[in-house]
Amino acid sequence: MSSHFFLFNESMNSERLGWVEQCLKFFFIKLHPENLLHSTKNRQAVFTLFLSGDALHSLHNPETLSLWEVILSLPCVTIVCDSQELALRGISVERLRMKNPDQVIIHNSLALNGRPSFWKDVMKLARQHEQPVPSLVGFLHLTSPYMNRSSAALLEGMNAALEIHASVDLYCYLDGVHVGHDGQKPTEFENIGEGLEAVFEKAAKRGLSCQMLACARCAAARGYSTWDDGKGTAISSCTIKPIKIRNLNEIIDQFRRNHIILSDNCASIQLKKEGMQATFSVLDRERSPPLTILITRHPYGTESAFGGLSLALAAAAHGVPTQVIFIEDGIYALTGTQIPDAGSPLFNMQEVIDAISGTDNLQLFCFTPSLQKRGMTKNQKLTGVLNISISEFGNLLFYSPNGVAANHQRVILF
Amino acid sequence: MSDDISTIPDFSDLTCTNLMIRLKMLLKKAPEGSLVECIVRRDQRDTIDVPFSRTGYDVKIRKIDTNRFRVSLKKKNSREVS
Repeated sequence: MSSHFFLFNESMNSERLGWVEQCLKFFFIKLHPENLLHSTKNRQAVFTLFLSGDALHSLHNPETLSLWEVILSLPCVTIVCDSQELALRGISVERLRMKNPDQVIIHNSLALNGRPSFWKDVMKLARQHEQPVPSLVGFLHLTSPYMNRSSAALLEGMNAALEIHASVDLYCYLDGVHVGHDGQKPTEFENIGEGLEAVFEKAAKRGLSCQMLACARCAAARGYSTWDDGKGTAISSCTIKPIKIRNLNEIIDQFRRNHIILSDNCASIQLKKEGMQATFSVLDRERSPPLTILITRHPYGTESAFGGLSLALAAAAHGVPTQVIFIEDGIYALTGTQIPDAGSPLFNMQEVIDAISGTDNLQLFCFTPSLQKRGMTKNQKLTGVLNISISEFGNLLFYSPNGVAANHQRVILF
Repeated sequence: MSDDISTIPDFSDLTCTNLMIRLKMLLKKAPEGSLVECIVRRDQRDTIDVPFSRTGYDVKIRKIDTNRFRVSLKKKNSREVS
């Protein structure tokens, strides 16, 4: 069974769902038309779309509902909903389920505590990518707790990974470093800091590995690093014990291993070639999965776009084949002529993009439908960023770059 | 190459990734054949040396203090690269 999956947690508008739909169509029509020729009734899913958090609203929003109907008309596509988050939001997906009862899953597997667990379903699919067991699941966390419910999802995901006897890695980046602050005392929310400490202890009791790394640059900017040894290790007096503040290079070094890395919004695309093993050891650094970073947000307004670009450059410098695709509002990094104030420490995103284009293992692309939707054009000086349409986007997603022997491609949305 | 290091930008506060971005930006703007110099820490020196040497730059590194290094980068001309 092939097991491509998308995981969406944040709100999905028609633009995002539109390119997902187009990519799936490209996959089935251009790459695997044989799937369209037969009845799909008894087939297992080729694509699983895991939906949690605000992404679930797209299932009943009229603007996106029609797109979901098109997606579900494709063969071998399954949507797995987070039943607890559906109930929390009072969202009904009966209309979609009536038409596609086998493709819209609203009942999750049971966790060891007897409660339905969406994350157990995610883990079942996620760990099919490597052997031998016990395996490893990584979590790249980008958002602060309490402002975002995704931190609660992070805890559930890590606990679900431990339940299936997988070791866990947590990579805290950008505002994600805040999950490791000590002394958290929320009154109306699960305590994320205590939850992470519990995960750490639970892993130790089960003989599983659990490392939690926070990016030193992000931590220092947010006031965490109180002592830096100048060699990549920083020690903070305000983080919980399991959190280790480390240089981004050390975090990226983990990306060279062949494990699944989940994020709030991400995908994993299988790259199995003829004659290649379906699974590889998690420690097989010769088979680093290629990384595709989708920059979806405006530059400057948040650190997200720059953070995605930094991560991409660090990954490329570590030999991970990396491609960056500017898409949705991310294309604004490429438009106009941007001029930050002369005395500002802020990087000029366009200068950064221009300077890093041509770097080994790094390719930069602009998704032209996002430009067209906004009536924008790319700055002509950014010649290192190649324009791509949906078919080129599909090729980038579903074909492995030359010389890459990995069994899957990581896709992370920033 | 001047011996006065006070005019050389000190990038020792930058993370390795941001240092790489900053150097790539400076090299992009630098006129053909000119030198880009900066002061870095020991761990930063290691992240500059290999990636830039491998991609067509002459990299010279001189120790100026326990944990301070003067890095000089210059793009090799096409004949040197080939």
